[in-house]
Amino acid sequence: MPERILMTGNEAMAEGAIRAGCRYYYGYPITPQNEVPEYMSRRMPEIGGTFIQSESELAAINMVLGSAATGKRAMTSSSSPGVSLKMEGISYIAGQQLPAVIANVQRGGPGLGDIGASQADYFQATKGGGHGDYRLIVLAPASVQEMADLATLAFDLADRYRNPVMILADAQIGQMMEPLVWKDYTPPADLPAKDWALTGAKGRAKNIIRSFFLYPGLLEKHNIALQEKYRLIREREVRFEETNVEDADLVIIAYGSPARVAKGLVKRGLDNAKIGLMRPITLYPFPDKRIRELALAGKDFLVVELSAGQMVEDVRLAVEGASKVGFYGRLGGAMVTIDEMAQKAKDMLKSRRASK
Amino acid sequence: MNKIPSDMDIAWCPGCGNYSILETFDKAIEQTGIDRKKLALVSGIGQAAKFPHYTKANVFNGLHGRALPAATGLKIANHELSVVITSGDGDMYGEGGNHFLHAIRRNIGVKVFVHDNQVYGLTKGQASPTSDLGFVTKVQTHGVVSVPVNPLAVAIVEDASFVARSFAGDKEHLLAMMVAALENQGGFTLLDILQPCISFNRTNTLKWYKDRVKKIDESHDPYNREAAIAMSLKWGDEIPIGIIYRSRRESFEAKTSMLAKGTLVSQYKGAAV
Repeated sequence: MPERILMTGNEAMAEGAIRAGCRYYYGYPITPQNEVPEYMSRRMPEIGGTFIQSESELAAINMVLGSAATGKRAMTSSSSPGVSLKMEGISYIAGQQLPAVIANVQRGGPGLGDIGASQADYFQATKGGGHGDYRLIVLAPASVQEMADLATLAFDLADRYRNPVMILADAQIGQMMEPLVWKDYTPPADLPAKDWALTGAKGRAKNIIRSFFLYPGLLEKHNIALQEKYRLIREREVRFEETNVEDADLVIIAYGSPARVAKGLVKRGLDNAKIGLMRPITLYPFPDKRIRELALAGKDFLVVELSAGQMVEDVRLAVEGASKVGFYGRLGGAMVTIDEMAQKAKDMLKSRRASK
Repeated sequence: MNKIPSDMDIAWCPGCGNYSILETFDKAIEQTGIDRKKLALVSGIGQAAKFPHYTKANVFNGLHGRALPAATGLKIANHELSVVITSGDGDMYGEGGNHFLHAIRRNIGVKVFVHDNQVYGLTKGQASPTSDLGFVTKVQTHGVVSVPVNPLAVAIVEDASFVARSFAGDKEHLLAMMVAALENQGGFTLLDILQPCISFNRTNTLKWYKDRVKKIDESHDPYNREAAIAMSLKWGDEIPIGIIYRSRRESFEAKTSMLAKGTLVSQYKGAAV
């Protein structure tokens, strides 16, 4: 039996990144993700990597930009207020088509907020919190094991598409401890060569990395190429997990911490009602085709989030009125409860029966 | 009975140097006769940034590192207010480091009280911009490798109006420095207050500071910039405390003709601008 290791989510994410070959980590202190820089500061010198505690979040994201431009696997992490500060750099990294990984261990907002778990940065992560038409690939871990696995996957996706990848976790997933199993990692053989990297132009034509295209028409061409890349990402990289969905009348859609509570409800059962769980693992690309299929198959949805309702907008776009979409959310660092979720589900099932 | 915690309840560790800074600050306000209705305390994020909540004044508690720009706006709108920033070494010299440089250049007449404990307290013990070389933390596991920021030397080079250092472990000296800083009529006023952090800095302890701080001799002329620079560079076995530098440079408010007619809030009273 493989060895099971007890770790916090934040540490698992840091180690997952290191196992994926990340050797450049830059960050600034902020709760609830301080375990990431702590872990990186200890491990990086052991494996010949670099850890820098920067003077600000802006410095950290631009250090990532610099390392990524040389073709190296680089990462930063923060929590909501700090991620807002990184947005300028993230837009540039996306515009420059650099592979990089940014983790947001979300806390309550807006503003300084608190340090409880939140998912109120969904819009910022999936719709582009910085300026311009760009997209991040957004991964949503729901366990300590996934913090590790998705950190590793994040670097592969970043390299494959030359695109920044965000790991959108929350305080609960970052802080909690769970056993995990380390898997052997080798980079996929079909990853494209980094012939664009700034490695010194000796013996080759120069490489230019930029997001600045002043000559008329060039910027539009660049944007069209970006959009084509995002289309490919939407076609190929959708990931989700389903529990008891095929048979369900009502499907709960949740990611991260609330998905764990929802799974608990689905496993516990609800007065013999048929309920299931669909858990998006990629928030961008969003599993909208699958949700549309389920809607056309007659299933209703209860979207559960630690926000006032952000992902629910994407669910409604996918469903396009084909079935009912309900919402249950808690705000400002508060956690959803299984009983409140059960009540919402009961209400929806009741109105479903009444309308049939 | 369970009491719901409020922002006014002090959330510092027992034994923190912040308590003596708070107590001394209240005395300094009393001694200078500053009307608390005309006192504005501005802070960012950190342990020192909680300070305004624990005394009586007008309060603006803003973003990490951004106390200075917020205080600048406040001072320009109503320059008759005494505007005091309570900040820490991370907030003022790290995240807010760029603002620090430019606010001094501008010579805006705000008082900056920095609780300098050479460590990040709120996020539990990372090195700060003023941590000494070799300082070991759970993040700087191999010791700090970057030379510390010297805020006093920087402020003197940029010709700040008033530059002083004091120590939370010497309330009498601290009171004298706070009063001098509050009474300074010029522009940018910096008071760097050495302060032990009993939870996260086991190197620069109360004893460590006590063994090293030395009051600046009366023969020191704070208007002598070169002597002030030399004084500001002293650190180690002997750490000078007192008024290190004064400048006669005009403040931003004094140079701004619009403000000669009175405060902007009084000039635009009732106007929807």
